[in-house]
Amino acid sequence: MRQTWTRSVPAVLVVLAVAMLPAGAVQSQEKKPIVIAIPVGLSGVNSVVAPAVVQSAELAAEEINAKGGVLGRKLQVMPLDDESGPAGAVKAFNTAIRQHKADSIITMETSAARNAGAPIADKAKTLFIYTSFYEGKACGKNLFVNAWVPEQVVPPLIKYMTDEKKVKKWFAVGSDYAFGRGMIESAKATIKSMGGTLLGEEFQPLQQSDWTAIISKIRAANPDGIIYSTSGGGPNIDFMKQFKAAGLKMPVGSLSIDELTAEAGGNAAEGVYYTGDYFTGLDNPENKAFLDAMKKKFGGNLKTPNSLSEPEYDGVYAYAMAVEKAGSTDTDKVAQVLPGIVFKGPRGQVQMNKQHHAPLPVYLAQVQADGKTKVLKGFGLVDPGNQCPNLK
Amino acid sequence: MLTTQLLDVVTTAGVLYIVALGLLIVYGVLKIINLAHGAFLAMGAYCAVVTTRLGWNPWTALLLAFVIGVAIAAVVEWRVLSGLYARPLDTILATWGLNIIVVQTITLYFGREIHFAESAIGRAVDVGGATYSAYRLVLLVIALGLGGAVWLVMQRTQIGIVARAVIMNEELAQALGINTRLVRFITFGLGAGLAAVSGALLTPLISVHPNLGVPWLINAFMLVLVAGVSLVNLAVAALLLGGAQVLVSSYGNPVLGSLTIVILAVVILRFRTITI
Repeated sequence: MRQTWTRSVPAVLVVLAVAMLPAGAVQSQEKKPIVIAIPVGLSGVNSVVAPAVVQSAELAAEEINAKGGVLGRKLQVMPLDDESGPAGAVKAFNTAIRQHKADSIITMETSAARNAGAPIADKAKTLFIYTSFYEGKACGKNLFVNAWVPEQVVPPLIKYMTDEKKVKKWFAVGSDYAFGRGMIESAKATIKSMGGTLLGEEFQPLQQSDWTAIISKIRAANPDGIIYSTSGGGPNIDFMKQFKAAGLKMPVGSLSIDELTAEAGGNAAEGVYYTGDYFTGLDNPENKAFLDAMKKKFGGNLKTPNSLSEPEYDGVYAYAMAVEKAGSTDTDKVAQVLPGIVFKGPRGQVQMNKQHHAPLPVYLAQVQADGKTKVLKGFGLVDPGNQCPNLK
Repeated sequence: MLTTQLLDVVTTAGVLYIVALGLLIVYGVLKIINLAHGAFLAMGAYCAVVTTRLGWNPWTALLLAFVIGVAIAAVVEWRVLSGLYARPLDTILATWGLNIIVVQTITLYFGREIHFAESAIGRAVDVGGATYSAYRLVLLVIALGLGGAVWLVMQRTQIGIVARAVIMNEELAQALGINTRLVRFITFGLGAGLAAVSGALLTPLISVHPNLGVPWLINAFMLVLVAGVSLVNLAVAALLLGGAQVLVSSYGNPVLGSLTIVILAVVILRFRTITI
């Protein structure tokens, strides 16, 4: 009995060794992957949009890997939950950098989460590409932004409504929080520079969904047009439903609506004008290829790409091109070549500038009767202006 | 402008009245604040989403909301709340827990994003020279109708008399052979049903998402604290607090306006509940 057992040991070992051989062989041949961490709001307020962001990154990584990766290394995307806020972002950034040794962080987050995470990335010398539109003026040596700032979307919308819709007398409405107020400030500056007048300006508390008093004030002021900026999602529809039901008919420009919200609102937002850098309806070959590839990869699980999720795709590509050009994942080297990298993607041509922001193609769109968004025209490349003049 | 403001005040009061009615009758009979009120509101709103998807008439959402609200409330009262009446503080925990369960169940099924519900009436009409939202006027009529119906039930029916007996003195009612168990069961079901109906009624005004009930729960809670257990007091409180909110928002700004409801409620509570 004992003898049989000892004799079988070498046989078992041989079998095990053979079984392990292919795995071991591949491991030694393949280089370490390039890790891209994505701290994103998988829970909390951003949880509606976060899955679409992760899908954008996964598609970009898969496409790049299919062509052999970058510097012979594969890209590996690593989604982490930042809980849509600063506390979660601190945890997610630390996990990304310390535990997963992330080579870069490319993500869409709330501004609070970004402000909490950016110093951690900075201290660890990890490249950070921020892919969400935001209020502007976030600067850092290793921080890059490839989505819009107010200077890029507000003036084109006000100009269009002034020139084409003959809006001279305006009424501005917003949700009472930093981003809503910031967007309205930007709109007011443009209205003033265009020679328009502001008849009134009202802000609604975030939790209040009854717009009755404000709508009565709009009626009393009788402006030519409305510019509004609520918080994202539902409040857009609350306001527009009540605006329409009150029988008001003047043109409305929105600084806060998005394709998904407009569609979920059915006919509530019909006629609303808004500007942005990405719409699913953009008529260019890159966008068609992107949407087809997304459908093919994710099928029934596809989360509709949108202006908050698409820049993630561009971000991963831009990073891959920069690493290729720098010949290394070293943050200093990549940060050096990133301004000047041009990626022609679904939005059109996106190029990072010296101030770590991107001149972007901006488009005008209008919500249709079925809630779908129709792109009316393009404004060409719009510059973000002076965001970080101290970066050289 | 004056006509519009008058309409703003009365319709805002109407909406608040509709939303608070279910909470008030539960508080009156059961002596508990149903913190799941907001969840029932949300559930009612999702009934409107469901009827829209099925292509049914928007008004059928009210019936669906009432039936589902009553059904869920019946199970909860029977299995959970009935054991907790001797421990009022625990009912707060239990109903808040129920709130979380209902909201999370909705989120699991529908997701956190907003949903579309068809409006029965989207037009505006002319009232005394002012163009006004027809639906808000309909809500005012519905508020009066619901208030009248509940009042009739309380005053003119057997169940109403029994309920009033329980409100006045539960021990005595019990001693007289009244089945207070059953009264509580029916009242909680009715209160939750009314909450769900009010949620469905709100959908033409607001977008539908899982947490839509929270701000309404807070307003309804204030109203009920101020009004006590009287239907008439509730109407007065809704007019007073809603009216103050509208007027402060109109002449001041909406940020102050939303504070007004809370400040007024605290001031009124400091002295007494409204009595006529």
